[in-house]
Amino acid sequence: MLKVFSAARCTRFLVVLFLAFSLSISTAFSKEAAKPKINLGELRTDARKTFKDKVGPFVKTYCSKCHGSRAKAGINLLSALKNPGSASAFVHWKKSVANVKVNDMPPEEDVKKIPTPEERQQFIKWIDKLKYLAEKDPGPYVIRRLTKAEYANTLHDLYGVDPSITDNLPDEVIGEGFINSISPMQSELYLEIANKVVNTIVPPKGEGPTSIQLKLFGGTPSKGVDLRQRARGIARSLARDAYRRPASEFELDTLVDIFDLGRENKLSYTDSLGLMLKAVLVSPQFLFITPSEVAKPKEKIVKLDDYQLASRLSYMLWAAPPDAELSALADKGELSKTAVLRAQADRLLSHPRSRALFDGFGAQWLRITGLEKQAFDPKVFPQMTPELRKAMMEEARLLFESILRENKSVVRFVDSDYTFLNEPLAKLYGLKTSVKGSKMRRVKLENGNRGGILGMPAVLAATSFPNRTSPVKRGVWVLEQILGERVPPAPANVPELEEQEHKNVEGLSLRQRFELHQSEPTCANCHKVLDPIGFGMENFDAIGEWRDKNEVGAKIDSAGKLPNGEAFSGPRELKTLLAKEDTKIARNMTERLMAFALGRQLEGYDEIVIDQLMEKISKDKHRLRTIILEVVTSYLYTHRRIKE
Amino acid sequence: MNGNRPKNESKRSRSLVNRRTMLKGVGVSLALPFMNSVSWAESTSPAKPPVRLGFMYMPHGVIMDKFWPKSSEDYLKSASPAIESLRPILDQCLMMKGISGVPIGPYKGAPHALELSTWLTARLPDADTRSRVNISISADQIMANYVGALTSLPSLELATMPQTHKENQEGLHEAYYSHCSFRSPTQPVPAEIAPRNVLNRLFGKTGKGGQTMQASPLDRQMLDRVLGGARNLRKTLAKGDQQKLDEYLDSVRSVERRIAAIEMRQKRAALEKAGLSPKKRTTNDSPPIEVKIPEGDKRSEYMQVMCDLNVLAFQTDTTRVSTYIGSTPNGLTYPELGFTDLHHSTTHHNNGQKKMDKVAAITKFNIDQFAYMVNKMANLREGEGSLLDNCIMMWGSGLEDGNKHRRANLPFIIAGKGGGSINTGRFLTDVKGNQGDLLTTLLSCAGVPLDRPIGIATKQINEIKA
Repeated sequence: MLKVFSAARCTRFLVVLFLAFSLSISTAFSKEAAKPKINLGELRTDARKTFKDKVGPFVKTYCSKCHGSRAKAGINLLSALKNPGSASAFVHWKKSVANVKVNDMPPEEDVKKIPTPEERQQFIKWIDKLKYLAEKDPGPYVIRRLTKAEYANTLHDLYGVDPSITDNLPDEVIGEGFINSISPMQSELYLEIANKVVNTIVPPKGEGPTSIQLKLFGGTPSKGVDLRQRARGIARSLARDAYRRPASEFELDTLVDIFDLGRENKLSYTDSLGLMLKAVLVSPQFLFITPSEVAKPKEKIVKLDDYQLASRLSYMLWAAPPDAELSALADKGELSKTAVLRAQADRLLSHPRSRALFDGFGAQWLRITGLEKQAFDPKVFPQMTPELRKAMMEEARLLFESILRENKSVVRFVDSDYTFLNEPLAKLYGLKTSVKGSKMRRVKLENGNRGGILGMPAVLAATSFPNRTSPVKRGVWVLEQILGERVPPAPANVPELEEQEHKNVEGLSLRQRFELHQSEPTCANCHKVLDPIGFGMENFDAIGEWRDKNEVGAKIDSAGKLPNGEAFSGPRELKTLLAKEDTKIARNMTERLMAFALGRQLEGYDEIVIDQLMEKISKDKHRLRTIILEVVTSYLYTHRRIKE
Repeated sequence: MNGNRPKNESKRSRSLVNRRTMLKGVGVSLALPFMNSVSWAESTSPAKPPVRLGFMYMPHGVIMDKFWPKSSEDYLKSASPAIESLRPILDQCLMMKGISGVPIGPYKGAPHALELSTWLTARLPDADTRSRVNISISADQIMANYVGALTSLPSLELATMPQTHKENQEGLHEAYYSHCSFRSPTQPVPAEIAPRNVLNRLFGKTGKGGQTMQASPLDRQMLDRVLGGARNLRKTLAKGDQQKLDEYLDSVRSVERRIAAIEMRQKRAALEKAGLSPKKRTTNDSPPIEVKIPEGDKRSEYMQVMCDLNVLAFQTDTTRVSTYIGSTPNGLTYPELGFTDLHHSTTHHNNGQKKMDKVAAITKFNIDQFAYMVNKMANLREGEGSLLDNCIMMWGSGLEDGNKHRRANLPFIIAGKGGGSINTGRFLTDVKGNQGDLLTTLLSCAGVPLDRPIGIATKQINEIKA
């Protein structure tokens, strides 16, 4: 359960995607970035000139008719033209690039002439420069409520209760800092859970105190002690852990006030402390990660304070509150030193608790979080049992963890010669091995079609329909999740595959039907890019089993070409070709991790920071752990803007 | 201890009451003696039961000639196939053709996100902030603002599917795909999907593990102080973050209110017991229905238990507003009917007979569940008539036709006379109104004083009214 919920954490921080697929822009870029010093001032001047001389006229010629005065298909270039370097313009530029790149826009009927392929490539390059117009800006620190998994872990770590105490909380829909609000009926759950926690810690009268009670409240106070004063001290230490920072005097007043409330209502000293603890547990300071101090109002950008940094790091990598070591470093003000921060991140990553990173980030990135509940036709796939689904998820998790632990290049995700299997999963792989029982274990793979996420059942199933594969979904998945492309959405009112008005599609292979699809002018441009990749994976059925023939008995032809012209004969070669795109794979991973870590979309200035990180990351061969360490020590992670 | 209380205590309490009153926009606050605030239950003369309003949703439209009656004369004589199961109570239902949906102009690529999210808002999401939720308060929540404080639960939101569908066409936030109730423009109200949870929370029939909240006045006062203590924190946050904090504080406030409502009920029950207060239910009223949670995973049984919960909530006056998302756009199949394709794929039938038959069957299946609910309500005595007589139950879809995403004549069925405010037993063939007009009219029938029309509404549809 935990997995599903925490995985939801970053649902839609869809990283704004960036690199051209068919082009060598990224190569051009890394050459540029490899120069000893990037002169941002010069780049900005150049970007201004490019915008004025090139982008403006291009947009006026080809785009303004439809996207000029108001939004069409979510793209509005009027405001983007006025303020090209702004964060809001950024999204519109990226969407435009996505459409122009696949020849989807402009549509022939709406413009006098359509841009030449060269013009299109130029446009993509120009837009890439616009990031230099953005001002230096780490973005605001986005607060959010703890996810269900984080909340459960926090209660467990601080109060020793079983994480299942939160099971009644609803599933979360999360994205861009949005966690769904609570229904009137659900809203009392937090109070109910707080009650349970307090009742676990403070046993009924007559029973001796629990060890946690002694730890939190201390022993029985001796006679003559000022109980109120003592309660304030206890409030201070409760709040330090629960708010993950020192409480302000005002916050302590509130808590002592609640202690008083208990006393006035004839509660015992201990029960009044229990009431105070309950208040801590339903306080927003506990349920949200909040800044510890009012920042200096004069500055626009400040460093994250040590406490926020500790929480940010700990919840990112462990989905749990800072442990004693992190908290102590925060108290001493040491954590904000880069070397200390890096060492702590490394320590957290080495601990088994960092599996939370897969649950929260990895599963989300692979888009397999819905697999356990995804609908499959039981007549076609009777073998798709809950056990098999679970094994599929585990396989993905274990591969993620092995790459993280061994600090391997992220290219391993695409091309690896091992995986993790149990008996049901090995059967799906068609392996006649000695893998028996339900336990997952590492298995060396001889078959080059498997190994890596392209041939991984969890991914293959998650990108399928209940009864058949979807080459389109798979194609989009490869472009977006692996290469970090942005694929424009299908235009409205386009019939799905079966709905096309072709007289007789029965008896045609799926591929032949798709070729009909490509003959529709509204679809052709995008599908020329998407479909060949999806068909390259067509030997894997809708739950990832190998097949040579499709449902209707037609032989599967999985040969195709990438947009850059490189040909492949089937899944194995497709995998090998994609694995060569190491720069793109690493950049995509870095951008996604950064968006996850910050809890927001990436915008203009973020791109500049990512460029700089990519330099270091590529020098270290795109290793996963290195990427994470670069992200958590980056300017974006350690700073926040406090004024507009 | 008293001497140590902070001086600002009384001031803080007062300001909370004000906040609460403003929040609810209703002339009842917890500061008033509870007894004065509930007129229906407490008045000594046989009182008129309150009007309750329920919505039930199905996405992707219908097969029109299987749905609409042939003519207004035909309506009572020969029910169209889709509404067959409503035959026993067609005289207590109303159908009207000619209600158009919100034009989705700038968002043509996201018909399904909008069919649901505009259904009770009658308004398009904000174009500039489409990746965030920004639409407007929905009709059910407007009603809840007026009558919610009178019952222990302001409103009830139910759904068949988890609200986790992920799709972002036209850059729209994914919440638009699975939510139709919005507490404010930026706050979608999530729905309960577990019948057991609903039963336990509403009625405290504790099964294993479930329990209802105990009304603890001490907890209420504690929460009050927690709210006050968040004041300074709020000041340190950026505007967007303040909004998030407020959403949480609102939810804390709703717990406070719920505790107060339970206290109120307990007091009332005690007075009843002591013979100091008239009984709320007349002897003529049917006893509360039994709700059984089904064991298996049959969709019809699942939907029917959700319908039962809705009936029970209305019957016991636990809430007066409900919204049941019978299914969400995309992601749903109908294994019980033998259909393994997604509902959405099926509705793009392109006039193919096989698929059209499936869509007709899915529509009928959904209406059957609605009929199960309203037939039941028609058979429960309440006051001078039936429970249904005092309710307005609306079934509908956000599209007329899923094949071409048409929205000119949205399919709606209204069951119940709304306490005498609705003239039922008719099929109006051409009402010339829009979705906002309809919602505005229904709220008016439910006795909600509206200071402004809902969404794109320009008028009320008076033909509906009695």
